[in-house]
Amino acid sequence: MMDRTGILKKVNAVFVDVLDNGSIMLNDETTAADVPEWDSLNHIQLVVAVEKKFGIRFTSREIQSWKNVGEMVDSISAKIS
Amino acid sequence: MPFNSLSFILFFCCFFLVYWGLYKNFTIQNLAILAGSYLFYAWWDWRFLFLLILNSALTYFLGIRMQTKESERDRNLLLWVGLLQGLGFLFFFKLRGFLPLGISFYTFRTTSYLLDVKRNKIEPVRDWIAFFCYVAFFPCITAGPIDRAGTLVPQLRMQRTFAYDRATDGMRQILWGVFKKIVIADNCAMFTAGIFDGYKNIPASSLTLGALLYAVQIYADFSGYSDIAIGISSTLGFNVTRNFNYPFFARNIVDYWRRWHMSLTSWLTDYVFLPLSIAFRDYGKAGLVGAIIINFVIIGFWHGASWTYVAYGFLNGCCFIPAILRGTMNKRNKLTDERKFSFRALVERIGTFLLVAFLLVVFRADSLSQAFGYWRGMFSSSIFSAPWLPGEPYMLVPLVFILPMFVVEWWQRDKRHALQLERVNGWVFRAAIYLGLIAVILGFSATRNSDFIYFKF
Repeated sequence: MMDRTGILKKVNAVFVDVLDNGSIMLNDETTAADVPEWDSLNHIQLVVAVEKKFGIRFTSREIQSWKNVGEMVDSISAKIS
Repeated sequence: MPFNSLSFILFFCCFFLVYWGLYKNFTIQNLAILAGSYLFYAWWDWRFLFLLILNSALTYFLGIRMQTKESERDRNLLLWVGLLQGLGFLFFFKLRGFLPLGISFYTFRTTSYLLDVKRNKIEPVRDWIAFFCYVAFFPCITAGPIDRAGTLVPQLRMQRTFAYDRATDGMRQILWGVFKKIVIADNCAMFTAGIFDGYKNIPASSLTLGALLYAVQIYADFSGYSDIAIGISSTLGFNVTRNFNYPFFARNIVDYWRRWHMSLTSWLTDYVFLPLSIAFRDYGKAGLVGAIIINFVIIGFWHGASWTYVAYGFLNGCCFIPAILRGTMNKRNKLTDERKFSFRALVERIGTFLLVAFLLVVFRADSLSQAFGYWRGMFSSSIFSAPWLPGEPYMLVPLVFILPMFVVEWWQRDKRHALQLERVNGWVFRAAIYLGLIAVILGFSATRNSDFIYFKF
């Protein structure tokens, strides 16, 4: 069982790794507009890396419904609990 | 009524006075925009105004209905009705090779609106005047930029107040756009037309020069248009999405496509590439390659139902393959944020420009056989001969402004447009730059005016 803070920390590490930018600091309200390297071209690579890290799988609809990092964390939290 | 015509200048001056003279209530301002936009459209071609209004009305209605429906099935049905109507007409006209003005651009606005409402990214607009303005907004209807409802509609739902700084900033951007269009692009066009038409009988050196000039031409033409469209919007109090971010300073093709015709490429990456890449994600890098190729073939096809455009898209998509295989497609800032000079970066920039110019040959060509013939002609021993150019020697003079254009843009590459001259101290120097530019425009504009290239897409 992992709390939201723990999930966010792990997600942050994935973003830093995939986007190759050590200064990324995610919070629940972060959107793609706040992270210069995060765009539709590499979104899927972030999603796949997150799936791998947590050993879960999202549906297409889930992936397209997230408005910010917080909603992604909610999806992860629902799947691992 | 193109932007570089006398009738547009008269229209815009009248519109500007009426718009800012009106009572400062956003609905009344929007009514002025709507009336102005429909007048602008009808002046150009009244026959298809009904299509624009039909598309706006249907999309408006579907958006509101979609929110009231609970079941996913009904929402999907409404979405499909909208997509079929909009993209159906677009497809029909593309195949016939005849396009009502702006249809490619406003259809993409309404399509993204429906998709965003469907995915709950935005609330449906319930102010029909604001929505119809969003679709028909005259500065951007002929060739973009393609704004999303999420960025433009909130601005239409607010009262605009005249700001001197913003209006003058817009006018400077217009000035730079006019310079790029009628001094650079139109003068290049006089040579590229002759070279592409007579490609069979001219030496490789001329063909290579022609390809390079065409790359400069299409950039100056379309980014010039975009500067004018964005500048006009600024004078009316709007922040319109950016279309070019100095693409010829990109160090690889992935970076180039993030900076070229940005409002279209970001549209396609959001609504085509992203869903495809999600669907293909079990196939790893092969899935990414497949998604990017389909995405780029559609970008090509969007320009017209011709094999040359399809090939142009396909070849550009293929250029992404090395970056995908190496896993560098997501690493962007390390490449672009360097301020200091590096020889390696210079070589990469020149290489990217040459690749882009090479690929643009098929974009410009009338047929695939012309493109292949042109490419074949570029690789022959006559590359070492003196290039021959169609036309009189005096016509070459305006081409000297190509280098200053790029130097100014390089110097200003962190700015949203090239004439944001905060770094130039003293109004005398700034005024000298503006007046010099106006003098160049008056003195060196091409003797033959050509249409903006993207009006025909």
